Amino acid sequence: MALNKSLSVVLRGGNAISGLLCNKYHLLIKDKRDFCPGATRSFATKVAASQKPDWNRAVSEAEKIVGYPTSFLSLRWLLSDEIANVALHLRKLVGSNHPLLKTAKSLIYNGRNNMQAWGLIVLLISKAAGHLNVDDMEEDKAAGVLYSQRALAEVTEMIRTSHVVHKGLVNIHPGVYPEASEMNDMTFGNKIALLSGDYLLGNSCAELAALRNQDLVELMSSAVRDLAEAEFIGRRDSQNNPLPPIPPLDRNGYAVKEWTLQNVLSAGALLGKSCQGTLKLAGHNNEVQEQGYKFGKHLALAWQACLDLGPFIGKDHSIPFSLCCAPVMFHIEHDPTILTEIDKGLESVHNVDYAKVHDIIMTGPGVELTKQLQKEHSQKAMEVLNVFEESDARTALSNIIAAMGDY
Amino acid sequence: MACVGSSRLCARVEKLCQFGQFAQFRRKVSTTCVKFRQEFQQPAKTVVQHCKTDSRTRICSRLEGVRSMSSMQTQQPGSLPEYQVDPYRLLEDDLKDVYDDIRQALTENTTQEDLKTIATYYFDGQGKALRPMVAILIARAINYHKERSDLLASQRQVAMIAEMIHSASLIHDDVIDQSDFRRGKPSVNVLWSQKKVTMAGDFILAVASMMIARLRNDDVTLTLSQVVTDLVQGEFMQLGSKETENERFAHYLTKTYRKTASLIANSAKAVAMLAGADDHLAEVAFQYGRNVGLAFQLVDDLLDFVSSSAAMGKPTAADLKLGLATAPVLFACERYPELNPMIMRRFQEPGDVEKAFELVHKSQGLEQTRFLAKKHCVEAARLAQSLAESPYQKGLLVVSDLVINRMK
Repeated sequence: MALNKSLSVVLRGGNAISGLLCNKYHLLIKDKRDFCPGATRSFATKVAASQKPDWNRAVSEAEKIVGYPTSFLSLRWLLSDEIANVALHLRKLVGSNHPLLKTAKSLIYNGRNNMQAWGLIVLLISKAAGHLNVDDMEEDKAAGVLYSQRALAEVTEMIRTSHVVHKGLVNIHPGVYPEASEMNDMTFGNKIALLSGDYLLGNSCAELAALRNQDLVELMSSAVRDLAEAEFIGRRDSQNNPLPPIPPLDRNGYAVKEWTLQNVLSAGALLGKSCQGTLKLAGHNNEVQEQGYKFGKHLALAWQACLDLGPFIGKDHSIPFSLCCAPVMFHIEHDPTILTEIDKGLESVHNVDYAKVHDIIMTGPGVELTKQLQKEHSQKAMEVLNVFEESDARTALSNIIAAMGDY
Repeated sequence: MACVGSSRLCARVEKLCQFGQFAQFRRKVSTTCVKFRQEFQQPAKTVVQHCKTDSRTRICSRLEGVRSMSSMQTQQPGSLPEYQVDPYRLLEDDLKDVYDDIRQALTENTTQEDLKTIATYYFDGQGKALRPMVAILIARAINYHKERSDLLASQRQVAMIAEMIHSASLIHDDVIDQSDFRRGKPSVNVLWSQKKVTMAGDFILAVASMMIARLRNDDVTLTLSQVVTDLVQGEFMQLGSKETENERFAHYLTKTYRKTASLIANSAKAVAMLAGADDHLAEVAFQYGRNVGLAFQLVDDLLDFVSSSAAMGKPTAADLKLGLATAPVLFACERYPELNPMIMRRFQEPGDVEKAFELVHKSQGLEQTRFLAKKHCVEAARLAQSLAESPYQKGLLVVSDLVINRMK
């Protein structure tokens, strides 16, 4: 959140230093405002009772349950040299076409794709599950979670942000940028994106190490590995955008299998392993930890299905979509002739006629099947929640899951 | 005049290098050694060691004299004729499968062929394997010091991890620097796209940290994770430069520590901790690695100005072309202040690189860089002397020598 604000200030062309100071001020205010657990508790139950849970409300109510915003960019981050450095360098990129700016902006918007929500989920499941035999000193009493769990939630956000930032590099192929100035912008943007991502990754290593739990370090490192591996799955265009794999002769189950493989690696593994890890920190046994993994994985998949649906259910038909999103995958399984249009994107996905693909999808079963897919994963996540005792955190989690299915 | 000027600068550099901790550290080390000897109660050995230390001190003090005359180039302080140990041969058995094992560890963590190829690209066995070698050498020297003869499996893992972290950072460097050649073959960014290469770097780091975690040692994990943050911070430091000469040199040295020495120092510390070393012994290992690492990078920066493309496996004056002012340039601008504006504009204007290259060669910059590197090697050798005598301990002395005298 704080990064978002500092970036937005920078993007508006404001002075980086004043931007940082503004943030500091803002954070302080925010902390005060959010710190009234008694009031929020009754609020949360009210939401649970209301008929139509709204996404943003579900998230912001949930944030209050676990104390204060989960953003990893607390004061100590804002005041670090490196972040100030990045902010300064980002300014130089304003006006160029480098996608790092887009990534920065996407961090600002409070959409369903909000990274912060991931840390929040980790904290909520921590609170919902409670903790065993833990030293009083290590508990953040007001929020009902351990400090180590809060650190893990930060790490989750950092790993995810780092991955998104690294994904936002540009592949510079010879001859694509004949103009030297544009070429320089792209090279410089790549440098900043690479370093910022590495910075987040390096810090998540250090934060994890400080938790002194080697099972957890191994678990979270394997999530980083999965994210990296996800970028190599399937067919790719010259900018590494994914294209659906060629279906086998027997297409039965093709869509779910390929979609799940891709999205478990790129999303499910991280959230699943974070939820598993936080229960590990709380001293729960392996069985409960497994449940945590299941919860995070299914929630992430439900989330992804929900994101994939977005461009196909609203009135706005111009929202860009991935060629590997669930509706397209389901359509390929139903009728692979759509691949003749999709394969025009082998060089660059921009060569695909998206309006045409969109129209084809709308005539097929893809959207309906995706809704089902989302529902299945939501239900599986809900099932895990029922293992835990009734609590405000559990209610908040089910509100978030419910809000996802709310079109 | 040049002599006076350079010794003045060297004195300053010395101060900067030490950051005020060195003197204190020296005291600490000597007391540790005394304590050790008392603990082990090996009077005979102690005497031998004392003699050694004494002769060493004499050499050092003789060097002090030489240094003040600033004619270090003619002396070879690190070369001690009785040591004919080749550390690579000494550790042949330990090192021969390191690259195979790394490739194995990486390939079993993914099913994607592309990722396997990119991730294992630099682990072809053609590298110097300096980091694993130093790590294992220290491990064995420390083990011997602690009166055990074998190399622990976990220590060998650390050697592999050090090489993996190093390669991950090389791969990311390649994306940033756009270099064409590395280790005598096309660099990864020439063969694969930036995004894939970046992800492959992340992948190697992730697998390395999984291996770290499997050692199940909290302090080792903390030590090695410090390396990763240091590397990134060093990379950030390389983006900017400082205004004044003093700041610039301190900036350069800190950057060098973070980018190069931290990995060697912390992996040395990690293997020592795995051997059950106490804080003082771990610190000896750390400082040995730090000094060797700093010397190594200083020599690297020096060679960038003198060796041919063929010998280095990468083009010369590469640093200047990247806009980086390394030790030789920083020393040279003492004599040729006209280098200052060029440093500030990162040698961007046409002719800057050539002019700077020429001025460095005209100045004492290269000799002064070598002198500074030698100082670190002497310090590394001194630290190695504090360990119990063994072939591996001798190997440590040879390494500090090798670093200075290497041609590539």
